[in-house]
Amino acid sequence: MKNHISIRNVNAFYGEHQALKDITVGIPEKQITAIIGPSGCGKSTLLKCFNRLIDLTDGARVSGKIIVDGMDVLDGSIDVTEVRRRMGLLPQKPNPLPMSIYDNVAYGPRLHGTADKKKLDQTVEKYLKIAGLWEEVKDRLKSPANKLSIGQQQRLCLARGLAVEPEIILCDEPTSALDPVSSQHIEQQLLKLKNDYTIVIVTHNIHQAIRLADYVIHLYLGELVEHGTANEVFENPKEERTRAYINGTLVTDMKTDSEVNLKGNVCPFNFVYAKQALHTLEKGKILKLIVDDPTAVIEVPRGMEADGHEVLSVKQVNKTDWEIMIRKNE
Amino acid sequence: MQIRRFKDVLAGRFMLAAAFFSSILVFIIAIALYLRSKPILEAKSLGDLLLGSTWMPFQGEFGFYPFILGTLYVTALAMVFAVPLSILSAIYLAEYAHENARARILPMIDLLAGIPPVVYGVWGVLAVVPLISDIAPVIGKLGIPFLSMESYSTGYSLLAGSIVLAIMVFPIIISISEQVLRAVPFEVREASLSLGATRWQTIKHAVMRIAYPGIAAAVILGFSRAFGETMAVLMVVGNVPIVPSSIFDSAYPLPALIANNYGEMMSIPLYDSALLLAALILMLVILFFTLAARLILVRIERRMTNG
Ligand SMILES: Nc1ncnc2c1ncn2[C@@H]1O[C@H](COP(=O)(O)OP(=O)(O)OP(=O)(O)O)[C@@H](O)[C@H]1O
Ligand SMILES: [Mg+2]
Repeated sequence: MKNHISIRNVNAFYGEHQALKDITVGIPEKQITAIIGPSGCGKSTLLKCFNRLIDLTDGARVSGKIIVDGMDVLDGSIDVTEVRRRMGLLPQKPNPLPMSIYDNVAYGPRLHGTADKKKLDQTVEKYLKIAGLWEEVKDRLKSPANKLSIGQQQRLCLARGLAVEPEIILCDEPTSALDPVSSQHIEQQLLKLKNDYTIVIVTHNIHQAIRLADYVIHLYLGELVEHGTANEVFENPKEERTRAYINGTLVTDMKTDSEVNLKGNVCPFNFVYAKQALHTLEKGKILKLIVDDPTAVIEVPRGMEADGHEVLSVKQVNKTDWEIMIRKNE
Repeated sequence: MQIRRFKDVLAGRFMLAAAFFSSILVFIIAIALYLRSKPILEAKSLGDLLLGSTWMPFQGEFGFYPFILGTLYVTALAMVFAVPLSILSAIYLAEYAHENARARILPMIDLLAGIPPVVYGVWGVLAVVPLISDIAPVIGKLGIPFLSMESYSTGYSLLAGSIVLAIMVFPIIISISEQVLRAVPFEVREASLSLGATRWQTIKHAVMRIAYPGIAAAVILGFSRAFGETMAVLMVVGNVPIVPSSIFDSAYPLPALIANNYGEMMSIPLYDSALLLAALILMLVILFFTLAARLILVRIERRMTNG
């Protein structure tokens, strides 16, 4: 397994606060690497070191080496724009540029000197297709990008990032702002893309890491706790802290206090039934819902969150059915 | 209960009246000015007044053309200086300057806005006017259109007026534009930079697109300030009622005309009426520009939201 990115003794500081402590690890080429760990452990910071977006933060300092294709990204004298062009970024919240769908995708190629209209047209079509968005937007390429749904915007960001022909795709919790259907869409695109790109994904969602990752890096409070292939880390972690983290986030799977099957119900009704079911539960208990209505997959968790309950997970269990786990709050 | 309701109604009525009054104030002023300038409008044709270039109140000649052009020229030239410089300063402060530098420079710029116009006027007389009287003959000989000057210049000129005016307009445009730029979401910059754009490309293609309406508003505010500014301009512009043909010529903007003459020699027939007509014209010109600016802004905003 060849490393595409080699991280050597990287330390990162925000003022006095040390966010990364002597990280040394390699990221394998043309695989999906998941960076996992609790909130605030430095996952985003590490990602921002790769493409030097950390330079934008006043008072941030980074030392060490990050070697990509023989070039040290952290070296002050290299051309940052070239480094960034090689790494597409998929942010946590989709951030379309204030322009049309077409211009969003054409933005990068135009910056790097493609002016030919026909070539741009081809590029836009090609990458919108790769991101799985082409069919939905091909008739309104000139309309503003922020009119798209959030899920579509995220796929647009993917297309935009791919259009500058990077070798690496960096994703910072790319699905955390998306509904389950859109999340699944993005995950599928990433799985397809790993044949051609090295993908690094930061995620809070251990299920997502299990579904996607070939290689896993576990950070805790700025330290590298463990790294290895997904099999090793998930099946047989060497470190107790990794085991605890994985179990801690998986534990909600084990005990459900009540289960309601809402298959065959359409939208306002499954919502009402879910509410009733939660009503009969005590605070802190966990309800498992099975739904098969696509709108319910989005609307039920949203509604339950609006009522103050905690949605623990939403996942597809087979072709038609989705499982929604909710913890009663309030 | 009754009294409470009564008070509520009364307060409501009162505030309505106050709001109504302040909103019709502009019409009241316009009508009053119109009534007072009626005698001259009846005696002369509007065409003669607006397009006539002779200003000889004793002979009964009231041509406003030099004053109207004087106002437009001084304002326009001031904006030519002020707009690019202040937008670039705002971009520097918002996008490039280190936080410490920004925290030091911005308050200074705000201070600039607080200096009374008369002080700018004095500074203009002491610093700008002599400088122009020195350079005018040198540049004037080159024979560039609008920059010509025969032999000698006092320095009291269109150029002096617009330099002073430009500096007075700076702080308005800079501080508003800077706020507008900084309000542009960080994600936009992140998106653009992560695609390999340079900082300048990011500003030009992404940040400015969002900041554009706000910066246009800042420029318009600057414009309206420049139009009506009287004191500082009056002190350096020369106040000669001719149509300026070069930036080194003197000019006589409308506000200066009114401020210099109102209340003196009012026994001359129609003089009072003529000056109030000048006020009316000034008001209408400013109103026209402000409205036009509003319309442009609305257009821009609509285009931004609809893509
Ligand atoms: N701009 C900043 N200024 C100061 N401290 C920061 C800044 N950004 C992050 N930090 C700190 O650095 C540490 C790591 O932050 P980072 O954003 O990398 O965490 P993370 O693992 O991505 O967390 P999350 O999962 O919540 O996104 C945290 O303790 C955070 O408080
Ligand atoms: Mg993060």
